[in-house]
Amino acid sequence: MSAAASSDAPGNGWTGIAPVLLSAALFAWFLSLGPQVAAGETLRLAVPWVPSLGLELAFAIDGLALAFALMISGIGIAVMLHAHFYLRGDRHFGRFLLFMMSFMLSMLGLVLADDLILLFVFWELTTITSYLLIGYGHDSAKSRRSALQALFVTGAGGLAFLAGAILIGIATGSTSISELLAGDGLTDHALYLPILILVLAGAFTKSAQYPFHFWLPNAMAAPTPVSAFLHSATMVKAGVYLMARLHPALSGTDVWFWALTIAGAVTAVLASLLALRQTDLKQALAYTTLMALGTLTLLLGQSTGYAITAFATFLIVHALYKAALFLLVANIDHGTGTRDATLLGGLGRAMPFTALAAMLSALSMAGLPPFLGFIGKELMYAGVENAPTWPEFIGASLVLANALMVAVAAVVAFKPFWRPPGGPLPAEPHEAPWGMWAGPLVLAILATVLGIFPAVVQSLVVTPTVDSLLQDPAEAKELKLWAGVNLALILSGVTVGLGLLIYLLHQPLRRMIARIDEATFSLDGNWDRFLDGLIGLATWQTRVLQNGRLKSYMSITFLTLLVAMAAPMIVYGVWEIPTSLDAPNWIEAAIVLLILAGIALVILTSSRIAAIAGLGVVGVSVALVFIINGAPDVAITQLLVETLVVVLVAVAMLRLPFLTPERRPATDALLALGVGTVVTLTLFAVLAAPIDRRLTDFFELASYTEAYGRNIVNVILVDFRALDTFGEIAVVAVAALSAVALLRGVRGGGK
Amino acid sequence: MIADDLQTVLPEILIAAYAMLALMFGVYGGKDRVGGLLLWTTAAVFVAVALWIGYGPNETRTAFFGTFIDDGFARFAKVVILLSAAAILVMSQDYMARRDLLRFEYPVLIALAAVGMMVMVSAGDLIVLYMGLELQSLAMYVVATLRRDSAKSTEAGLKYFILGALSSGLLLYGASLTYGFAGTTEFAGIIAAVGEGDVPLGLLFGLVFMSAGFAFKVSAAPFHMWTPDVYEGAPTPVTAFMATAPKMAAMGLFARVVHDAFGGVVGDWQQIVAFLAVVSMFLGAIAAIGQTNIKRLMAYSSITHMGFALMGLAAGTAFGVQAMLVYMVIYIAMNVGTFAFILSMEKDGRPVTDIDALQMYSAKEPTKALALLVLMFSLAGVPPLVGFFGKFYVLRAAYEAGLGWLAVAGVIASVIAAFYYLRIVFYMYFGDEREAMDGGKNPVLWSFLMASAVVMVFGVVNLFGIEPLAAAAAATLVN
Repeated sequence: MSAAASSDAPGNGWTGIAPVLLSAALFAWFLSLGPQVAAGETLRLAVPWVPSLGLELAFAIDGLALAFALMISGIGIAVMLHAHFYLRGDRHFGRFLLFMMSFMLSMLGLVLADDLILLFVFWELTTITSYLLIGYGHDSAKSRRSALQALFVTGAGGLAFLAGAILIGIATGSTSISELLAGDGLTDHALYLPILILVLAGAFTKSAQYPFHFWLPNAMAAPTPVSAFLHSATMVKAGVYLMARLHPALSGTDVWFWALTIAGAVTAVLASLLALRQTDLKQALAYTTLMALGTLTLLLGQSTGYAITAFATFLIVHALYKAALFLLVANIDHGTGTRDATLLGGLGRAMPFTALAAMLSALSMAGLPPFLGFIGKELMYAGVENAPTWPEFIGASLVLANALMVAVAAVVAFKPFWRPPGGPLPAEPHEAPWGMWAGPLVLAILATVLGIFPAVVQSLVVTPTVDSLLQDPAEAKELKLWAGVNLALILSGVTVGLGLLIYLLHQPLRRMIARIDEATFSLDGNWDRFLDGLIGLATWQTRVLQNGRLKSYMSITFLTLLVAMAAPMIVYGVWEIPTSLDAPNWIEAAIVLLILAGIALVILTSSRIAAIAGLGVVGVSVALVFIINGAPDVAITQLLVETLVVVLVAVAMLRLPFLTPERRPATDALLALGVGTVVTLTLFAVLAAPIDRRLTDFFELASYTEAYGRNIVNVILVDFRALDTFGEIAVVAVAALSAVALLRGVRGGGK
Repeated sequence: MIADDLQTVLPEILIAAYAMLALMFGVYGGKDRVGGLLLWTTAAVFVAVALWIGYGPNETRTAFFGTFIDDGFARFAKVVILLSAAAILVMSQDYMARRDLLRFEYPVLIALAAVGMMVMVSAGDLIVLYMGLELQSLAMYVVATLRRDSAKSTEAGLKYFILGALSSGLLLYGASLTYGFAGTTEFAGIIAAVGEGDVPLGLLFGLVFMSAGFAFKVSAAPFHMWTPDVYEGAPTPVTAFMATAPKMAAMGLFARVVHDAFGGVVGDWQQIVAFLAVVSMFLGAIAAIGQTNIKRLMAYSSITHMGFALMGLAAGTAFGVQAMLVYMVIYIAMNVGTFAFILSMEKDGRPVTDIDALQMYSAKEPTKALALLVLMFSLAGVPPLVGFFGKFYVLRAAYEAGLGWLAVAGVIASVIAAFYYLRIVFYMYFGDEREAMDGGKNPVLWSFLMASAVVMVFGVVNLFGIEPLAAAAAATLVN
């Protein structure tokens, strides 16, 4: 990264040391809890949070949680120390530390949470903080794109997980993880399949399983210590953690087995092939991370003691070597100015500590004895023998992926140090400052020592983890370097041999894979198209729906109304077309003609005043309808209002500037016809239903007995609703007054 | 009898009387020179009345033969309306004064709108409902065009008026149909006429038309078209006002009508509300992506948020109403803060509304940028901020009511919606360096922005205790 400091840049002072100390303190604390947890205890802490939603701030530390917590805080020490030197003099270093610490604490919260919703909250926090970290180098468009992509893919997955968590809450009546794990599991529940799909959608996107894997290599735009932390040891393992956490409740079905096995195997093999393809060391490591995640998923698919023991072991193995190698690649970049595998070579002498750490880590990664990686690999192979279904498929995937790992390990950690360089290097190679190699070296030595003395790992991490997953510590298999000559050892031999062969042939293979890769479909390629499409859709809606023209807004409103009214009529089939209407008498016919004439005038005329007059004709005709139906009071009100409206509208409209009327499109006419038809149909349907006669009956009965009047309308007006009538008169008076004021104003304005 | 009735509507009468007095004082006491004074007085009156209502006796009372209902639900909504209206008034003082927009009519009209809104949420009768709605709308039409010399503002006001009149027409048509078939305008009578079983067709159409009218008022798609144009055209303080108190009032009215008048036929209106919710969430989320003006963006944001609030309503349960109330309170709290920020956006004394102006804002004003970041994340519903709990509430309400598909749609929409909120954060923190905005030193705006952001962070502890209040309010509406 451009941020990689030159040695004369100002230091970061002591601020950079605080995170190291914090990580170390956390690590020590978790370590001190080790014996208790190993004894099978689960430590808990719960505080009520949002009681009406049944949420509480609950934390629990069991074997699995402790394994992750140790991994996060332990790797955190090395990474924070490295970052302190790597980002020396970076002007946003304070911000970087803030993001990094927030991320680490969120990650710890995630693995310690004992409530699904709380877990989700921390889950999204890791998404957000990693977004900020990936986008840290915000000057480059590439890192901005990658940050957004990572955010979207994992954020969307997180929401899927939230949906799954809600479903679990509904299925079991609680979102507490302890209660869920203590229960009977969900495999027989009616909601099992939706729950599983949603949870796996969250886990697969976070842990970058095929086909959601594309964001992870892109996320390498982050500064290398970030990649080392987020994309080897922590963030991407969150998905794996989730699957492991819910393993007791969700595993054991065919769907679980096949979903995890296939996704894991495809990811592992595909990722290791693509890792070989990369020439950028960091990218190559990114793909090997995918491979590791695939392997972990594959192992979780099974529920045998071997598979889960292998899972727990490989988890630690991978964290140790991958974090170390990422940091070492940063050192190479720092020391030579490039990460190009085809150029690099002969660094062994110039960078002795880096070379040593890289060698040890790579041997663990390749799975050679006596490293911890070897034990992990042996356990995987031992698990193959006991796989419930289709061991050939699992075995073949594992051998292929591991053999490719051997080759990639050689490319990353052997060739740059001990083979001659492929071309001139941008800078004279020099060793990084101590803080940048100390951490990786300790991790590498740990991988060696723990391989020779696996009992520590066994008792502290592996057995408690197996206990968490299978709820039986006796299921944990023994971690040992020498298990005799068995199938696993033979497979190991095949793996190493195949791996070396691939390394020797890796240049031609790389070209071949590149060709295939470019020809195949990838979601990454479609990502930009997806974003463009989304923005295109937004622009389209602004242009078409939100074009600023009142006319289109009205059209849309009427169209919606048309559909809203027509839909129930069609769905319920309630339209009613009266077959026999009484023939209108001549008065009625005349009124109808008058209305039609008024409408025709409004539509056809180009004169504004004529159109207003036409509307007035329609209004007056409606008043006539009231008159012949025996409602003279309503008719009078209508006439008054109509007159007022015509006068006021005419006054207002005639003062507006005159615009040449544009031709109205035929769709307007259609819309008008449609709305008219639907309203008519509604009227027919409504009239066909029996009218509620309560009011009519009441007035018929009460008008003489209570108000001593025989004309019901009159009685209503002056007696039952006298106050209303009074109000109406007041309204008309106020309207008339304001009309006068308005008209005066007009005349005054004309002066 | 009448004394009891008057006692029940005393808060409304008080504010209405205050509005008349203030108008007279304004007209005869110095016109626009007293604008500032009136504004502060109005805000103080709002707060006082809100406290009075909030700490008043907790009982359900009706007035004027059941046409006006003063229950827990109404009081909850009224307190929210009055407090948010007061906040917006106080925030707008400086902005309005400096742009020579501080007419004395402004606080008076807001007070009248507040009375209208209070009547809306207390309506127990179609006529009262309409009266409240129109009082609020007419006041808002005028306020929207306060900037008369701007063509955009005038155009926005006209659009608002015409579309608003159209929606009122629809509402009235629906109300007439309802009256014709239920034989009464009182909600208590309507719910008896509707019964539990088959709804008479006329009532169903009445419900459809009235829902269209309500949808317009809450700016739910597809009746949202006025929102972006009016939000953009109206003076920013007016936009801020529209985005807060009237939304609560319209939502409260919607809930009131569907539960009090149509509570027996949840299934029939549930579909309508769910449809409005889905369309609003998606349209708002997608359309906002293309926006460059922050006020238009907030318009679409409000459309999306109304979609979520409607999701709670669509549940048709007491928990759904509670979720809706909690959501609205959180939404308003976020919007007050966000608009406090937007009001402070200016350059060389002129208001800026272009999102581009926020590029690398974090370098210039780290504290304000951080506060806005919190608000944007909260608006996007990112946990653990308070905005997330609002979403969580409504999703859960929808799911528990058997509307799983609606909850899923909500989740997808919130992913899309996150896009544009994050874009603002992105600009502020990862943008290109450019000449920054200036000013924005107004202490009132600054305090509201900070308070809102702090609430979004620390509210996660117990949501400031609004939950039991919302639950009690919901319980009085749905039983």
